[in-house]
Parts: sequence; structure tokens; C-alpha cells
Amino acid sequence: MTTTAAAPERSRPTISRTKQVLRLTRTEFTLFVRYKTAWMFLFLPLFLAFVTLQLPNDEVIPGFGAAELAMIASMGTIGLILGVGHPSNVFTARRESLVLKRFRVSGVPQSVIFGAVIGVVVLFSLVIAALVVGLVFATSGGTLPRDPLMLVVAVILSGVMYSLMGLLVTPFVRNAEAAQMAAMVPMMILLFTGGGVIPLEFLPETARQVMTFVPSVPAGEMAQAAYTGYDAFGGFGSAEEKGYLGLWVSALPSLGVLLAWIAVLTLLVRRYFRWDPRQP
Amino acid sequence: MTTTANTAAADQGRQDTTGPAVVVRDLRQHYGDFEAVKGVSFEIRPGELFALLGTNGAGKTTTIETMEGFRRPSSGSVRVFGLDPHGQPSGVRERTNAVLQGSGLLDDLSVDETIGLAHDLAANPRDTAELLDLVGLSDKGGVAVRQLSGGQKRRLDLALALVTRPEVLYLDEPTTGMDPEARHETWQIISGLKKHGVAILLTTHYLEEAERLADRLAIMHRGEVRVEGTLASVLAGWGDRVSFLLPEDVRTGDLPELPEAEIAVETRDQALWATYTAMGGDVADRAHRTVAALIAWAAERGITLQHLQVRGASLEDVFLRVADGAADLLTD
Ligand SMILES: Nc1ncnc2c1ncn2[C@@H]1O[C@H](COP(=O)(O)OP(=O)(O)OP(=O)(O)O)[C@@H](O)[C@H]1O
Ligand SMILES: [Mg+2]
Repeated sequence: MTTTAAAPERSRPTISRTKQVLRLTRTEFTLFVRYKTAWMFLFLPLFLAFVTLQLPNDEVIPGFGAAELAMIASMGTIGLILGVGHPSNVFTARRESLVLKRFRVSGVPQSVIFGAVIGVVVLFSLVIAALVVGLVFATSGGTLPRDPLMLVVAVILSGVMYSLMGLLVTPFVRNAEAAQMAAMVPMMILLFTGGGVIPLEFLPETARQVMTFVPSVPAGEMAQAAYTGYDAFGGFGSAEEKGYLGLWVSALPSLGVLLAWIAVLTLLVRRYFRWDPRQP
Repeated sequence: MTTTANTAAADQGRQDTTGPAVVVRDLRQHYGDFEAVKGVSFEIRPGELFALLGTNGAGKTTTIETMEGFRRPSSGSVRVFGLDPHGQPSGVRERTNAVLQGSGLLDDLSVDETIGLAHDLAANPRDTAELLDLVGLSDKGGVAVRQLSGGQKRRLDLALALVTRPEVLYLDEPTTGMDPEARHETWQIISGLKKHGVAILLTTHYLEEAERLADRLAIMHRGEVRVEGTLASVLAGWGDRVSFLLPEDVRTGDLPELPEAEIAVETRDQALWATYTAMGGDVADRAHRTVAALIAWAAERGITLQHLQVRGASLEDVFLRVADGAADLLTD
């Protein structure tokens, strides 16, 4: 300190982004728990999972009926509801109340601010997914996921993707109420196209191929494949049971679609996100 | 103990005195057709406080937002540590902080949680207990931010801006809503930061604040800097006022003409008051010169100058003249 004349910016200590993301995720968690409205986003996917119990449960593949498969696919909607619903709402409110600006001027990188809200969405998505697994376990007479890792990957990736989508809602709305309304649009469309409501196997081949690029499809299919061990991609009509590696190979297109959406949405969020209420 | 730390910080500040920390050159900022900032230039050196004053809507916050990196200049340039702050590159981000005109606090967190978060996110944070003590919030740690009073929120804003040990600090009306005591304490804090080599940009509508703290200042009106310089140089241009109650037997025309002083007569409480504004370049002596001449004149006529007052121009005089005169300036 006394002897060197090093440039001050080099002598300043640094802090790792991972540490920052984890720390801010902790606060996001606290805020989520205190903000009771957000709990709705936890109950909704559980409710949707329960609704599938009403479906006729004819066996589709050995050990799994249609209702159970629908319940498993509903794990793809956890991230949708939480990710599109929560970040769009709170980030709009925080932009308008200058909280985001306050973070930025105090030197918190954009990636950390986004990373933390994505972190809390992923965290709660995993918790809800675990509860749904419990439900499937109970109704299917004790079957556990064949490939838990793939299930976790599906839930995490869809949580990330939908959170980015939720963040992308914020530049188009002026306040948190409008954000809640606006978030309903992609949420409803994607819920409807997610396979939970339209059974994909009844669609014509071309429509089904288009549908595989819709962001809500791959996560649900990955969840089904991960749970059953069957190649569920593109319907169960001709689905076969696969080995561990075989299943991952068949999951590659879905993984690719999820990652591609994440990449595109990241670019869009970087480009269009507004930090300042006055920014035109 | 604290003194050694302070000296170290001061040394570090001094390493930077080679050049200005902030340079703004001919900055212009448009919102659609509306030009909010029309060619503003200034520099701030480490340890220096530059006060950006001006009428409502003059473009002060817009200028600061550009320096903070939220807006790209429509034209002109901004450099902080030689870097373009737009998009907040890490070389700028980590060395600056700000008190925003609006607070930006999370209502659901407590004071301790708020400052704790800022502390944990910073690379080289200051001690939070010490900071809360500094801004007088030690006994409010457990209170939710939504329950703080307006002035208490402002104090917390200041503490948050200091957690990261910034080398450049933007203060946008930091004392608005503070009681007089808090304001004085804030002035002390700001003076301390200057001593430690922090480069500070301050906007305020409390002109006394600028008078006390500013090394240099500018007064903006409708996007333009109308007056700029050190406090002394700005005030020098506006003259010293010598005024007294006009004795009943003296008529306006009897008042002496003095070199480099303007006479004005006005009615106050149904009496006539004379005011001489001494404008000479001999800033230190001109008030004395004017008073001496008036006393000599009064002695000669055998009268007393009642309620004799001598007053230097205040920043408020200058400010009001800028805000007023703007209409004339705009029409030509
Ligand atoms: N997004 C925007 N669109 C249009 N006009 C804007 C926008 N943001 C700011 N302005 C205008 O720019 C001008 C400058 O605003 P700014 O906030 O910089 O003023 P200020 O000097 O900080 O005023 P105050 O002392 O009241 O805080 C104002 O006339 C304001 O209405
Ligand atoms: Mg302002």
C-alpha cells in the first residue's frame, strides 16, 4: 500500500458473481416468502397436477395411465407459472420503485440481478416438482422417476427459460398490475399448447413437429421420458423403453430446443430490458 | 485507529489526483423532440465536490443518469475514470455509487437486512454497524423499511451509497426530507468524503448546502448551464448590497452617484429604502468602499443612515436571477 503506485482499479478487491448471485437469491427467497401474492404461483401448478387425477387413467405404457402421464407432464408447467408470473410482476414493481436502479448504481451486475430471480424460480420449481413426484408416486402405486437427473434438468431449464420470458414482459408494461395481466397471455397460450391440455399424439404429424419448437412442449416431454424411461418425445404412440444413454440421446432435440430458447430470450432480455421508469 | 484507515484511504485518493475522475463534454440528451440537456460540460477531480443546481426540469437528473450509464448521450461524451459509463463496465461500476432522487428501497426488508444485503454484494464493504451509526439509524435496525419516515429513508439511502467505498459519488438531492440536524450531519459526512479523495456530484435545491460544500458549481436552466464557477467567482459577478432607510428629508434624486455601484430605491413597509449594489472588480474591498463613501456623504449632510445593512450576494440571488432572466435569454 505504501510502496506501490499500482493503478487503484487493480488494487480494489473483487467479489465473485456466483457469491453475489447466491447472496441475492437468498434475499429473493425472503422476499418471495414475505410477498404472499407470490404463493399463488406455488399453488397453481400443484392444483393443475391434482386436476389430472380427474382424467380417465387407461394404461398407455406399462405401469402408467393417461392421467399419470398428464400429471408428470404438468411438471413442465411449474416453471411456466412461476417463471412467467413472478419475475414479470416483481421486476416491473421494482423498476417503477427504482429498486433495480438502486442495485445497478451500487455496482451489482445485471447478470447477478437476473440470476438471483431465476435462482429463486428454479428453487421453488424444484420444490414443487418434488411434491408432484410424491403425488405420482402415491397414485401410480410406488413408481419413482427412472432418470431423476433428467427430470431435474428439465425442471431447471424450463425454470430458467420461463423466468427470462417473464423478464421480457416487463418492458412492455407500466406497472405491476399490468404485468400480471400481460403475463397471462404467454402463460395461457403456453399452458394450452403444453401437451397437458392438447394431447399431442392426436395431432397430425406436421403440427406435431411445429409443436416441438413451442417452448412449453420439450420440458413436459422430458419429464415424461425421465419418469417413465420411455422415449416420450413426440407422443407415446410408438414410444419404446430406452436405456440410460438411449434416453438422453432421444432427449437431445428437446434439450436443444430449451437451450435455444434460453439463448434467444437471454439476448432479447439484454436488448430490451428497461431499468429506469423514465426510459422511453 | 480510524485515523490510520482514513489516511490510507486519503493516500489512495491522492494517487488519482493526476486527472479528473469525471469528464463531461458538451453533453446533449433528447427525449424524442424534446432536448432535456443542451450541451453541458464539466469535470470533477478526486476530492472535489461539484454542485449541479438548477430549476425543476432543468436536466440535472438526466445528466446524472447519463453519468450513471443508464442513457447513451444523444451527443457529446461522458468519461468516468476514462471509460464510457454506458452499460456500466466493471471498471466504472465498482468504483461509483449514488443516492438517487427517489429512494429505491425494498419495503419488505428491514433496515439491517437492507444494509446487510448491500454489504454482502460489495467487494470491499464498509462496516454496516458503523454506517448505520454514521447516519443515525443504529436504533432502527429491526424496523421494516416501509415503516421508516421519509427522512430516515433518505439516511438509509446515504448509508447504502457509502457501503461500497465509492471513489465517485452522485448525490441527487440527498438531503431532501431530512430535518436540519440530519442535514448538518450529512454535510459533515460529505465533507469527510471529500477529504478522503472522493469525487462528488451534488444536486440540491438547498442553496446553503451548495454554498457550504461546493468547490465549484453550475446553475442549469432548461437544459443549459447559465452560470458556472467557484462559489466566490459566481458571487463576485453579482455584487454586494448596501441598503438603508431613506431619511424623510432626502429625496431619491439627492442620493450620491458612486463609481461601480448601482442605486435602486424600493418601498418596504411604506418607507423608502435605498440599495447600492457594489459591482467593482475589487471584490474584497468594494463593500467597504461603498459604505465609506455613503458614510462620508451622510456626515456631510448631517444625517444618519438608519438600518444600514451590508450583504454579500447569496447564491439565492444568483439562482433567482437565472430562473427569472431565463425568459429574456430564451427570447433573444
Ligand atoms: N423519458 C422522458 N420523456 C420525456 N421527457 C422526459 C423524460 N425524462 C425526463 N424528461 C424531461 O426532461 C427534463 C429534465 O428532467 P430532469 O429529471 O433531468 O430534471 P431535473 O433537473 O432533475 O429536475 P428536478 O430538480 O425537478 O429534479 C424535464 O422537463 C422532464 O420532464
Ligand atoms: Mg432531478
